Amino acid sequence: MKLLTIDDSRTIRRVISGIGAMVGFEVLEAENGDAGIKVLEQQGDEVALILLDWNMPGMNGLEVLKLVKADPRWAHIPVMMVTTEGEKDYIIKAIQAGAIHYQTKPFTQEEMATRIMEALGMGGL
Amino acid sequence: MSGADSTELMNKLLTGLRLAVTEMMTAMAMSEVVFAGQESADSFTLTNEVVGLVRLDGQLQGMVGVSCSQSLLREIVSRIVGLAPDELAMEDLLDGAAELANMVCGGMKTKAQIGSVQLSPPVSIVGQEYTAQWKTNHPTTVFTFQMDEGVLMVHASL
Repeated sequence: MKLLTIDDSRTIRRVISGIGAMVGFEVLEAENGDAGIKVLEQQGDEVALILLDWNMPGMNGLEVLKLVKADPRWAHIPVMMVTTEGEKDYIIKAIQAGAIHYQTKPFTQEEMATRIMEALGMGGL
Repeated sequence: MSGADSTELMNKLLTGLRLAVTEMMTAMAMSEVVFAGQESADSFTLTNEVVGLVRLDGQLQGMVGVSCSQSLLREIVSRIVGLAPDELAMEDLLDGAAELANMVCGGMKTKAQIGSVQLSPPVSIVGQEYTAQWKTNHPTTVFTFQMDEGVLMVHASL
């Protein structure tokens, strides 16, 4: 099982990759929505969880989320939003569009690791 | 928006900004940061080697920046991504400065509990020598934070 992080910040992608490795997962990285969809096209069968930024060049995270949830190949993959946008309106929109979790930045390693395990139905750490 | 509403919103954002810096440094960089002062200036010149900038738009317009020395940025990014400071490339520093500004502004918005201010994509500058004039329509509040490895400054013109 692999995780897919879609975030335009290489800093955040690296942080999530490190945390993913810490809890035993390989992490695939994509720097925008289009690249994320390409990864899903190629390796979607192996992706257990998508961690998705909101504000990115090109498609924003909500648009990517809607695309993922509309495609029967990927609709079952849980999606966690990982974003600096922490207002209620954003959270509601994401949940309505199918996100299973919503994690604001900044976050601690422990918070993110726990969220990942929860999203995968493996309980907290 | 009336002048009183605008002032209240600005104060909420400044309080949120100060808290967001501490939270970001603690959570992401696992670093202790101590608030070391605040001042207001009508004009301001950026002389630090590193700056990350985000423009605010919507109910209130303005600009927020994070600046520090390159060695401090290297240390902060190193702690965030878990690589040795000398393993970081210029691209890592540029992205790190941008992401610091982005996270600080996101935290500021969340803590101020306002949804009507939009954040621009961050801009970052990393260089040995530059002087940039920070020119805005409003006075600039400058927060200073002391870390073991140096001083982190956060500037907000709202």
